[in-house]
Amino acid sequence: MKLEIKNVTKRFNTKTAVNNFSMVVETGQCVGLIGPNGAGKSTLIKIISDILNADNGEVLLDGKKISKMKNEMGYLPQYPDFFHWMTAKETLFFMGQLSGISKEKLLNEVPAILTKVGLFNEQNEKVQTFSGGMKQRLGIAQTLLHKPSFIIMDEPVSALDPIGRREVLNLIQEIKQETTILLSTHILGDAEEICERFVIMKQGTKIEDTTIEKLLKRYNDSVVHFEMASPSRHWVQPIEKLPYVKNVEVIGKRAKVTLDNIQENKDMLIRNVMENNVDIVRFEVGSTDTLEEIFLKMVVSV
Amino acid sequence: MTSFYILTKKEYVQMFREFKLIWLPLVFMFLGATQPVVTYYLPSILAALGGNQGITIDPAMTQQDGAQVMAATLGSQFDQLGIMVIVIAMMGIIQSDKANGMLDFILTRPVTVGSYIGGKIFSNFLFVALSVTFGYFVSFVYAHFLFSHMPFLDMIFAIIFYLLWVLFIIAFTTMVSTIFNGQGVIALISIVSLLVLKILSGLHPIMDLLNPAGMSQQAMLVLITGSVDSYLYGNMLITFIWIALMVMVSHYWISGKKYHKD
Repeated sequence: MKLEIKNVTKRFNTKTAVNNFSMVVETGQCVGLIGPNGAGKSTLIKIISDILNADNGEVLLDGKKISKMKNEMGYLPQYPDFFHWMTAKETLFFMGQLSGISKEKLLNEVPAILTKVGLFNEQNEKVQTFSGGMKQRLGIAQTLLHKPSFIIMDEPVSALDPIGRREVLNLIQEIKQETTILLSTHILGDAEEICERFVIMKQGTKIEDTTIEKLLKRYNDSVVHFEMASPSRHWVQPIEKLPYVKNVEVIGKRAKVTLDNIQENKDMLIRNVMENNVDIVRFEVGSTDTLEEIFLKMVVSV
Repeated sequence: MTSFYILTKKEYVQMFREFKLIWLPLVFMFLGATQPVVTYYLPSILAALGGNQGITIDPAMTQQDGAQVMAATLGSQFDQLGIMVIVIAMMGIIQSDKANGMLDFILTRPVTVGSYIGGKIFSNFLFVALSVTFGYFVSFVYAHFLFSHMPFLDMIFAIIFYLLWVLFIIAFTTMVSTIFNGQGVIALISIVSLLVLKILSGLHPIMDLLNPAGMSQQAMLVLITGSVDSYLYGNMLITFIWIALMVMVSHYWISGKKYHKD
């Protein structure tokens, strides 16, 4: 299922939650939608899943309006909640029947899917006794029940404890083989683990659309780290003034210097630093920036 | 199996789990019994409590026939406490689905807004109508034994007219529940509006024509006089138009996704 989002804009009163957002998700891709709180991720997801109407723009699934393709789509909200008086099994029967699955088929599939999400032993318990993680897993079961070819998830793991997180991540890994997935998160490690492609949002706008390799490469290329014998800052100013040095950051004994071109400049840099009487004990080319740091840099500085 | 059927079935399971299926008919049966019983024993109650001094009751005043007592059941029990009970039982009809996100969830499935609202109104109306009819029947039994017998056909016509007013009450509460988000606000707006309509009915024939509460007036008229007045059909038609309008507003509100708080 190919998902196309075309120039989607959504305003709430004066605040623009999503601003002229476009993207294409190809069949079988897994895309992580990343952004700080309030970036408009949830609003965008609600527009894609046809819960909110966009002010401008449209969302197409295989070239057709999403409202006509509901059975091809599975949606998991940020805090899935169900009728408290229903049991897990009843919830899945209810949602399954609404998706047009026959009762006979559900009799086979519901226990299977409950086993898959690890709720088989709780199938006859009421949803009101469920913890957040269990509701999340029931939500995932509901999302998968009608075998959609496109799944959209709003913060599927953010509210879970580490064990629940791991379980849900494994589940998503499993689903990923056969479906197109779009998920939002503000925990980058999770996105890094399951998605190849990232779309970063800030204040309703798409600021980046890339893969993790490209992203790491771009931000790692021209950085060197070195460690000094004792903390000192006297050398920072002269080094910063050098034409090939873009930026210098010092935290305690560690310094991070961004250069124009690492191959040409690194020897020069060492020489220059030595000239300033800095006692270097370790020198390292390349950076150990994680996605988290890159993300912070992008969201804060752009 | 259509989604209309599934949603209707779900409503009944919910009513059963929440014991609504038991308490609402009981409340209406109690309301139905109150009017004939209190009217019948009123002289003795007053005599016992009021003593002999001051008030004397003209015995002719209490000589009502069964039909009048039944009309009073509709007019002063069902149309006052009854309306409040119906509104309180129905105020969460859409609001609770909005609050816990189920409405969003249901609408991400291939379910039309029409079958969602249709299922809600159909199932709840059928249930409330049955409860009201039970109460009406209890009232009939008491009125029959304590007062006089009344023509069976008039009684059937009266309850049919009255149930149209009940359908309006449900459609109105559903609309208010769709538009507003707080249960208190929904109950207040619904109860006040419906009671105002009820108070306005019977003031002027033309106003009654436009007023859905006029159907309740028609029901009482059939019971007391055994005949219908010329405004009946117009009143019926306009009540249906009102109901259709309420359903359309709810439909528009949900399909236009205006129910989101943000």
